[in-house]
Amino acid sequence: MSASGPATESGTLLQIEDVGKTFQMGEVAVEVLRDISFDVRRGELLVMVGPSGSGKTTLLNIMGGLDTPTVGDIWYGEQNLAVASPRELTRYRREHVGFVFQFYNLVPNLTARENVFVATEISKKPLDVDETLEMVGLGERMDHFPSQLSGGEQQRVAIARALAKNPQLLLCDEPTGALDYETGKNMLRLLVDLSNTLGKTILIITHNTAIAPVANRVIRLRSGEIHEVHDNPHPQPPEEITW
Amino acid sequence: MVSALDRKLLREVRATGAMLIAITSIIAVGVMCFVYMRSAYYNLSLAKFRYYNQCRMADFWIEVKKAPLVDVDRLIDVPGVTAIRPRIQFFATVDLERVIAPLNGLVLSLPDLRKPIINDIVMQSGGYFTDRRANEVIVNSAFARKHGIRPGHTIHLLLNNRRQELHVVGTAISSEFVYLVSPGSLAPDPEHFGVFYIKRTYAEEVFDFEGATNQIVGLLDPAHKETPGEVLRRMEVMLEPYGVATSYGLRTQTSNQFLSDEIQGLGVFSTIMPAIFLAVAALVLNVLMIRLIDQQRTIIGTLKALGYYDSQIFLHYTKFAMAVGLFASLIGLGLGYAMSHFVLSIYKMFYEFPSLENHIFPGTYLGGVAVAVLCALIGSLQAARLGLSLKPAEAMRPKPPPQGGEIWLEHFSGFWSRLSFGWRLVLRNVFRHKLRTSVGIFATSLGAGLLTCGFILTSAIAFLINFQFELVTRSDVDLHFKDEQGRPALLEAANLPGVSLAEPQFDVSCTFVNGPHRRRGAISGLLPHSQLTTPRDVDGERVRIPSVGLAMSSKLAEILHLRPGDHVTVLPTQGRREELHVPVTALSDSYIGMAVYADIDYLSHLMGEEFAVTGVQLAVDGGELQRNSLYREIKQLPGVQSVNVRADVIRNMEFIVETQRIFIVFVVLFAGVIFFSSLLNSSLVGLAERRREVATFRVLGYNEWQVGGLFLRESLVVNSLGTLLGLPLGYALAWVLARVYDTEMFRFPLVAPTWVWYAAVGMAIVFALTAHAVVQRAINRLDWLDASKTKE
Ligand SMILES: Nc1ncnc2c1ncn2[C@@H]1O[C@H](COP(=O)(O)OP(=O)(O)OP(=O)(O)O)[C@@H](O)[C@H]1O
Ligand SMILES: [Mg+2]
Repeated sequence: MSASGPATESGTLLQIEDVGKTFQMGEVAVEVLRDISFDVRRGELLVMVGPSGSGKTTLLNIMGGLDTPTVGDIWYGEQNLAVASPRELTRYRREHVGFVFQFYNLVPNLTARENVFVATEISKKPLDVDETLEMVGLGERMDHFPSQLSGGEQQRVAIARALAKNPQLLLCDEPTGALDYETGKNMLRLLVDLSNTLGKTILIITHNTAIAPVANRVIRLRSGEIHEVHDNPHPQPPEEITW
Repeated sequence: MVSALDRKLLREVRATGAMLIAITSIIAVGVMCFVYMRSAYYNLSLAKFRYYNQCRMADFWIEVKKAPLVDVDRLIDVPGVTAIRPRIQFFATVDLERVIAPLNGLVLSLPDLRKPIINDIVMQSGGYFTDRRANEVIVNSAFARKHGIRPGHTIHLLLNNRRQELHVVGTAISSEFVYLVSPGSLAPDPEHFGVFYIKRTYAEEVFDFEGATNQIVGLLDPAHKETPGEVLRRMEVMLEPYGVATSYGLRTQTSNQFLSDEIQGLGVFSTIMPAIFLAVAALVLNVLMIRLIDQQRTIIGTLKALGYYDSQIFLHYTKFAMAVGLFASLIGLGLGYAMSHFVLSIYKMFYEFPSLENHIFPGTYLGGVAVAVLCALIGSLQAARLGLSLKPAEAMRPKPPPQGGEIWLEHFSGFWSRLSFGWRLVLRNVFRHKLRTSVGIFATSLGAGLLTCGFILTSAIAFLINFQFELVTRSDVDLHFKDEQGRPALLEAANLPGVSLAEPQFDVSCTFVNGPHRRRGAISGLLPHSQLTTPRDVDGERVRIPSVGLAMSSKLAEILHLRPGDHVTVLPTQGRREELHVPVTALSDSYIGMAVYADIDYLSHLMGEEFAVTGVQLAVDGGELQRNSLYREIKQLPGVQSVNVRADVIRNMEFIVETQRIFIVFVVLFAGVIFFSSLLNSSLVGLAERRREVATFRVLGYNEWQVGGLFLRESLVVNSLGTLLGLPLGYALAWVLARVYDTEMFRFPLVAPTWVWYAAVGMAIVFALTAHAVVQRAINRLDWLDASKTKE
């Protein structure tokens, strides 16, 4: 685990307090998130489930510093992301967060390895690119372009890219959403392993409730509000779950 | 190590392919124009500056009938005058053994012993005068070259009615005659007109000019160099008793004026042409970049999510544009260097310099690169900013589907309902992509404007030659006498072999005065029904020579603020030199000089003569043999100052036209680059955006030609709108040029025969079709099955 952490005791990485988000769509204001409060604990595997449109991506974006809440605070150590400047948010993303997107978002004109380089080039203490790619099982195909890789392989590149920056927090938006059952399961395996071996804090959001049992903690979102948070002292290995 | 983003950039530049070629070529042409025109500008300016210094180019010229040197020396006391040199100047006919046609020359005196003088010469071969003989001559290089005259040869000149043998000691050039034209002509004719320098003592002897001069050249102090008018007038007053024929400053000296106008024109065009091309390039690049940014929304969002700063992303995208700009400008520099070399070689055919080299001016080359990169930067700025304004969270969301509302044309339901499905699609696309359509229209209108203007200029030159040398002047051979002569001279000329018609001409040089407006000029007395010179009006209709009063060139009338019916004061600079008041009865038009015509009897009487001639115009029949005997006889005629053969003049003008044509070819090429590139770019951007749509059509069973037809129709719509705007634009451009080049020496007619329009439209269509050929190829090669699967 990375040595440089924020000065938080009690193992809290991120503290979300009364966050709300409203989108202004011309005349109408759409309230997408309301009264969201919870902590993200250091090293946990957190799964957030909720139906489509419940505001999962919006919340993830706010937690990752891609967006700011309309009300409320998000504390990352001493820093309140809710009032941070765009430049501070960029630094936060650059140094502390790794994203894995549903559609991988690889740069088509770069090979797998180069796609990871794009991330490591701007981080302070990156992991070795080739080792990271091997860790996600892509040692053989590093010099392939995204169009030459399957969906599962592309997702692995995306995970390697997020990991190689060596961030505190890995945010995964529907990491299995675009994958078939088997590949999806492998992906979960990988994330669980990363959480166990590297001690990364990982947040997975999904509308697939079947995934929830692999987590240390599950947050259920419904219509922009937290419906339920429950601890899971005995997470199931991904092989044992089905959907 | 190259950063991953830079690698992405390089691969994207390569993948942009044909679109990149389009932009590159526009920028390259712009830079090329900038470099070659600026280079030619500086090289000519530099050559002129050095040459003028080397020869101590005069600031003024004054011609008198004959003035004693003792009085002329007092001119140095006129404030502003710093140096003078009196010399002897005469026109003469030249008799070369192997040349049957009569040749003309200007004879100038030089000091017997070499010393630094105003309007010095630069020896090209042989040497200066020796003390071995009196009758030594130095011939101007171009004439010597044309006729193979070398030091050691002898030539014959008709000096003061006597055939004189002269020994050639050397050949030389002078800054006075960089552009050497005989009086009244537009183009150098080194074969038929030469300059002959003889010793001052010899000139005094053959012309009976001991202790006298008929031309004074001199220098002015810096305060008066640019505005010599006042000083000249003072000197004229002092020389009044000796008959001032003319006086002028450097600015209006023929050679200098041609050269300086050319340099000035280059200066103007070296701004206009690159500006046109770079403006189009920036706009086309803008279209391309906006498309690129749009396509890379998610990539931009991802980069932001990864923690790239806005400045890094901005730099990344402007780098793309600047790489294109830099690459294109390097090509432009190469082309510009070659072109500048070529252009200077053309200039060398018209302008005689000791050396005219294609120096590289680093500032110009760097400037070319800087301008191109700047233009690329400007072209990418809007798009790059657009990329920045994307919020990271938003960039990641799929783009809202393009709005597909009605376009305004659809409100004309009668019209709209009659359109085929294909046309509706085409029109919707044209009107929905407003930026792209406007850029396309703008670019093609400039291209069409350039074409139209180029064509108008070509037809103007042809029109001018036809007007001046077919309509107005129709004689085959013109004789000019040294002095006024009477009727016998006319009769003698009429009896020359082969002459079918001989008409008298009586030229009186004079100053025209109307209140504060005055101009030097001449009146040509002609027979009222002359056949061989027929003044014309703008429409080419004959202007009758009035029995009383003058038929004045409208340009001169404009300068003097005169209208038909007004009276003008005429101060003859020859003969009795009495002030005359004559009416302006009619206006005529000419494109060269500012002719004024009068009835020869009327003019003779005004001048107090019964009947006077200074020249005879001849119509000649018969073949070459007869011509040759005519020429032989003319060479024997005493008192002939110059002989002009119209066929030679026309042949010489046609040479200008040939050269002109080279430049027209370039203009067409340049216009082609604009058309081709802008249409190609917008079609390819459209194709890239609508790969899915194209794929869908193909899945539905349309063949590639039907799909290509949709794109062709779109680009034809844009192209025709642009061309339609470009035609008047080109005319306006030609109008501006006609205004700029409307000088006392030369004007060009603004004529646009129908072929101009057809040719411009025709070329526009050809360019559009050529561009479409590339697009069609791209459509044929499109892997539409794959395209139908891509998400975009
Ligand atoms: N930029 C925006 N402007 C307007 N509305 C937005 C914007 N972003 C999200 N929304 C709306 O907010 C709601 C929640 O969106 P969000 O993407 O967070 O849902 P989600 O839970 O991730 O759904 P899914 O499972 O389908 O991805 C949706 O109704 C969406 O339309
Ligand atoms: Mg979502």
